[in-house]
Amino acid sequence: MTLIEMKGLRKVFGRNIEAVKNLDLSVEEGEFLVLVGPSGCGKTTTLRMIAGFEEPTAGEIYIQGRLVNDIEPGQRNLGMVFQNLALFPHKTVAENIEFGPRMKKVDPETRLRRVREAAEMVKITHLLDKLPGQCSGGEAQRVALARTLVTDPSVFLLDEPLSSLDAKLRREMRAEIDRLHQRLGKTFVFVTHDQEEAMTLADRIVVMRDGVIEQVGSPLEIYGDPVSHFVADFFGSPSMNLIPGTLSQESGKARFRAPGLTVELPPSFSQAPAGEATLGFRPEHLAVSQNGGIFRGEVRLVEPLGKDTLLYFDRGGERPLIAVVEGTRTFREGDTLGVSVNPDLLYLFGGDGKRIRRGSKGTGIRPA
Amino acid sequence: MKRFVKKWRYPLFRTLMLTAWALLAGFPIFWITSTSFKPDNEWHKWPPVYVSKNATLDNYRMVWPIHQTGSIFVTPDQKGHGVAHESVTANKPWHALKNSLLIALSSTAIAVAFGTLLAYGVSRYRILSDTRMFQLLVLRMIPPIVVAAPLTLYYSVLQLMDTASGLIVVYFITSLPYAVWMTKSFIDEVPREMEQAAEILGASRWQTIWEIIFPLIRSGVVATFLFILILTWSEYLLSFILSKVDVVTLPVQLSKYEGSTEGRVYGHQAALAVGITFPLIIIGIFIRKHLVRGFTFGMVKR
Ligand SMILES: Nc1ncnc2c1ncn2[C@@H]1O[C@H](COP(=O)(O)OP(=O)(O)OP(=O)(O)O)[C@@H](O)[C@H]1O
Ligand SMILES: [Mg+2]
Repeated sequence: MTLIEMKGLRKVFGRNIEAVKNLDLSVEEGEFLVLVGPSGCGKTTTLRMIAGFEEPTAGEIYIQGRLVNDIEPGQRNLGMVFQNLALFPHKTVAENIEFGPRMKKVDPETRLRRVREAAEMVKITHLLDKLPGQCSGGEAQRVALARTLVTDPSVFLLDEPLSSLDAKLRREMRAEIDRLHQRLGKTFVFVTHDQEEAMTLADRIVVMRDGVIEQVGSPLEIYGDPVSHFVADFFGSPSMNLIPGTLSQESGKARFRAPGLTVELPPSFSQAPAGEATLGFRPEHLAVSQNGGIFRGEVRLVEPLGKDTLLYFDRGGERPLIAVVEGTRTFREGDTLGVSVNPDLLYLFGGDGKRIRRGSKGTGIRPA
Repeated sequence: MKRFVKKWRYPLFRTLMLTAWALLAGFPIFWITSTSFKPDNEWHKWPPVYVSKNATLDNYRMVWPIHQTGSIFVTPDQKGHGVAHESVTANKPWHALKNSLLIALSSTAIAVAFGTLLAYGVSRYRILSDTRMFQLLVLRMIPPIVVAAPLTLYYSVLQLMDTASGLIVVYFITSLPYAVWMTKSFIDEVPREMEQAAEILGASRWQTIWEIIFPLIRSGVVATFLFILILTWSEYLLSFILSKVDVVTLPVQLSKYEGSTEGRVYGHQAALAVGITFPLIIIGIFIRKHLVRGFTFGMVKR
């Protein structure tokens, strides 16, 4: 069932800052939706329009089938966790959590019980008498979650709630939020600019760029089937190797050329338009050998990660070519190696940045 | 060694500067307090008497008479006649104190209340543009003497001359810029998200202001209140020009001990001055906590 529906949503700040341009998106009940994209792409603005803090310049928002454009934030039955948490510094943790129910005139006894339940759910019962200023970053995070979930909202809106935490705590809180989502079964709309966070948390990812949606899909779809150079580049760590060059069609055979590299493309690309193009392949799809390969080069850096090893090759371009090889095999910096790639795992992007699909004639719009 | 010097140089310098400043600022207060206890033959003595060996409360008894009847302190109210030459022993300071309390407290309270609401609107909804805010401040840059003359004309017509309400109005207007500017800086410090968090949790606008904004800016509001109260309490010029017969305020009353027929009655003046200053010091001590937090602008650190 669709819980939130946005139709032709647009937001212009001032005279000509178009933060969100014509956005159509629906959020399904119970799903974990992640809005992801680079800084300034309009994620926060979108979330704030759903919450009701920002009035759309155009378009409509429906929550549970009800048009909410003119409904106050407090009446939309939403919960929001802000990036800076916005805990009330002069109230204790318990008072912070109690605030929502108290504003909604829940009777004191029920209130007390619900505060305790919420605190238990995020494991902060020992903090109830403290002030937010006395809590650590992770604890404050939990308090903010408790304050939101105590009001039993139909949707949780979270704007980069983990961005102020260090790496370890981030992972911990990520698991916590995931657990909370499982347990509550509520709808979550989560904003982040961290692709890893998006990949691990989301049921569905919405990739935004410059105020428009670039792609919507499950983490696997986004990772394995990116619609554009931008999406391909954004997801994955280390990110996809993307090599700019030209595509030519010579007697029915598609050939990709870049400095120091020529790749014969599989027949499925024979319809692709010749011209400027970018070839992409994921580091983990590369195979390294002593001889042969589509590209030969010197290993500039070996980065053992424990389970895998990253090999950096200098290609003269802006970014090194990266290959992931299993284990800690004994490659050394300075070795000259050949790199080959399974042609079925190649990605091709046109001059406009759009993906050129196999068998297509370019400017591939993602089929529904 | 170098580190040692570095570590101590700054605190030492700071201590010296602050001590010098404290002496400079504290001396007049010491002097006026000391003088207020001197018998009249020590007022003009040279070399000066710093702490009188014959300390007396006579000055206070003269200036702040406790018994209103049957004593030489009571003179009939002359209503406008011979005010400048009024007897030092007149029972005026209590009236002046009453006037000053009424006028300063009410004008400050109105200015701070109104100013805070205005500042909230400016901070959150920009109901005044930057230009307007600046113009508001410019209001304070006009020397009061310039507006005093035209004001007397208006006030005569409006029948506000020599009334408490007349002074309340003029003090309200002159301190509003301070009230708006100061409280705005405190409101600006409260993150918008704090309000929005309250809002999405179901709080109404007034609940948000009352439960979230106000507690967070309270220190700042108290600091603003005291700052304006001090200015209003000790304002002389406008009070002197707009009202000096019926509604005499303390600073104007204080000036009456100078150049009067009895010559300079330093001791009485000092006793009155101490009476003017002490209420402020006492208030200041009571709300010290707020003042420190308010004036350091650091109350929302998270
Ligand atoms: N109140 C505002 N007034 C003017 N411009 C704004 C306002 N809020 C956002 N913008 C602009 O709108 C664009 C989108 O902002 P938004 O905050 O939605 O980005 P974001 O995707 O959340 O970025 P980030 O990852 O940095 O938080 C930006 O260019 C931003 O400068
Ligand atoms: Mg943002």
